[in-house]
Amino acid sequence: MTTNAEANGTVDPGAERAAAIKAFQRRDKWRRRLPLLPALLFIIVVTQVPFLFNIWFSLLDWKIVPPRGPDFVGLENFIEGYSNQFFLNAVTISVVMTTSAVLLSLLVGTGLALLLDRQFFGRGIARTLLITPFLIMPVVAGLVWKNNMFSSNFGVLNALLEAIGLDSVAFVERWPMWSIVVVLVWQWSPFMMLIVLAGLAGQPTDILEAARVDRASSRGIFTQITLPLLRPYLELGIVLGAIYLLQVFDQIEVMTGGGPGSTNVPYFVYQRSIGGGWDFGQASAYAIIVVIASIIIATFALRVLSSLFQRDEAV
Amino acid sequence: MWSNRVSRSRRTKTGVFALSIALAASTALAGSAVAQDEKTIYVSVVGNPQMEDIAQLTPELFTADTGINVEYTILEEQTLREIVTRDVGAGGEQFDVVMIGMFEAPQFGRNGWLADLNEFAADDADYAVDDLIPAVRDGLTFDGSLYAAPFYAESSFVMYRQDLLDEAGLTMPAAPTWDELAEVARAMDSDDIAGICLRGKPGWGDLGAAFTTVLNTYGGTWWLAGEDDTIGAAQIDQPEFKEALDFYVSLVNDAGEDDAANASFNECLNLYLEGEVAMWYDATVAASLLEANDSPVKGLNGYALAPTKVTDTSGWLWSWALAIPENAADKDAAWEYVSWATGPDYFAQAAEALDGGWARVPPGTRQSLYDTPEYQEAAAAFAQPTVDAMLAAPINNPGVDPRPGLPGVQFVGVPQFQDVGTRCTEEFSAAIAGNKSVDDALANCQLIASEVEGESW
Repeated sequence: MTTNAEANGTVDPGAERAAAIKAFQRRDKWRRRLPLLPALLFIIVVTQVPFLFNIWFSLLDWKIVPPRGPDFVGLENFIEGYSNQFFLNAVTISVVMTTSAVLLSLLVGTGLALLLDRQFFGRGIARTLLITPFLIMPVVAGLVWKNNMFSSNFGVLNALLEAIGLDSVAFVERWPMWSIVVVLVWQWSPFMMLIVLAGLAGQPTDILEAARVDRASSRGIFTQITLPLLRPYLELGIVLGAIYLLQVFDQIEVMTGGGPGSTNVPYFVYQRSIGGGWDFGQASAYAIIVVIASIIIATFALRVLSSLFQRDEAV
Repeated sequence: MWSNRVSRSRRTKTGVFALSIALAASTALAGSAVAQDEKTIYVSVVGNPQMEDIAQLTPELFTADTGINVEYTILEEQTLREIVTRDVGAGGEQFDVVMIGMFEAPQFGRNGWLADLNEFAADDADYAVDDLIPAVRDGLTFDGSLYAAPFYAESSFVMYRQDLLDEAGLTMPAAPTWDELAEVARAMDSDDIAGICLRGKPGWGDLGAAFTTVLNTYGGTWWLAGEDDTIGAAQIDQPEFKEALDFYVSLVNDAGEDDAANASFNECLNLYLEGEVAMWYDATVAASLLEANDSPVKGLNGYALAPTKVTDTSGWLWSWALAIPENAADKDAAWEYVSWATGPDYFAQAAEALDGGWARVPPGTRQSLYDTPEYQEAAAAFAQPTVDAMLAAPINNPGVDPRPGLPGVQFVGVPQFQDVGTRCTEEFSAAIAGNKSVDDALANCQLIASEVEGESW
């Protein structure tokens, strides 16, 4: 700014003014940002600093039972962890558990949403009741299902089985992962239902009306109009559900307490660290592998979200 | 079920912890006007019946006397271990007194995590430290320092319904072999009643404890002793180990309780009290609950020594004991509590206050209890079998091969066993539930146990 003025040998009042405005704007920007700084610092301290610690820990050989280390070992924890059979088992469980729980709850949720998307008496109450499972704490849901539904001593399911003359079945012990999936589907179907319901409410009525005037069958309307229009919402449900269900811990802890049939990756990381393994280095390495996997899924998720909003803007 | 009350959830734990802080804060505020020196100590205990008793009796019998508030955190065994190890080992400083067992006490003491209680006991004439039963005291001692004061102590033995066996015309030898026991269990098993209750819940202190006594007497072991205090080769792939696990799994499947893969001490106790099992192989401390005044099976039971195969004796030795972490804020107040809870006068106080009476007091820790006429009368059925079992426990020579670590029967006295035992019993429990074969469970366990070969302890 001064270069111009010096070159001309005169001071341009316009340029000076512009510079003052610029400086003021810059100060003003910072004045506006200032109140945000504590929150920003707070977020950095509580989210990013622990993560940096986590990365550092993952490079150490550090156990507290028996006390050992910390010694720097580089990437050894990652190399060992990557090929550990029990970690791979946990990955398999995570993938199967998440996929099946997401898809099943999407299916159930869509069904419920279609039923709710019509006028009938008591619709509000029905909707509220259907949402309730999603509002129940995961720990409570797990305990209630384990003891009041699945248990062979007190469970409703076994009481029904015995009532029709069948032997009781120890569901949770026999099928640990599928028992957990049932609880997850019960809890997450309402979430999917809400998303799909929003999609159904956003359907343009004129197209549906036109289809009806053209005497399209209900099935045809559903498969050729409703479903394609719902697609972004279903995708959103899948992505959000996958992100949340990948982190399932509570239900596993209260229902099975881990084990070869139900230890998913988060539970495995917990077991390797403060849950009895006390191997902080190794557990940190596993945690970082999970973070990387989650980031990949989350990136995918954000892409879907943005495409959804673009479509909304276009409409 | 008892386990329901003691939820395993992390969320609940933090909830309980937060609540106890809130309660402590409010009582401290309320009390500050009245008593200036009112203190609060935080104690974590296992949710077994005798511990729940003392938690209930504390305000009346301890706080009223000393002015020290005690905030209990009552947890399931496996959860307690995690929390206590984290708290004591990593310097969490949540608790002034923690409940640990014979596995942890010498190891934690060796690590310098616990206060030496001999120093406190020496200044406390009422505590009568020499009254403690020697085997129990030794098990909680490392290098001459007592690191935990025994709250109760136990061996393992067989409890059975004498009335039902008589009805069926079966007899139980006083010192049975596992084959004899299995025969009786299979004969007793019917649609109405299970032949035997055996632990099947994952956890080295749950299924791991009961199974390891079987393993010992079958001549198997977890690891050989390595050179220079290291862990030697893992032995899970040996035929003795497979034989022991095959036997255990098939016995549970043929004649065991429902939901066996989810059953441990408290679950079996409930089943036995409700008359749903005819026999039960577990801790001797259970007898004090079966014979208590409020027990529905009082006077109906017989007791036999822990069953054997190739060794002469096989019962375990265990004590739940109270320890004071080295980093506890107020060790004197903590000792005052420990001294009361594990001291010689607690028995009479508890016997008077509890519905179960004398039979229900925590057994196995002090000679003076066994010299008390009231106890001799109330515990006539099981006092002698308990002492016999504890004396018979092969603490220094539990199996056939020498093994690594500090002494221990139902566990291997190396810190690594906590993790390996728990992960392996998850595999074994899955085999009990029928989710995988015994061979697969053993193969995985061998992998797990091999990870720590060559490590020092």
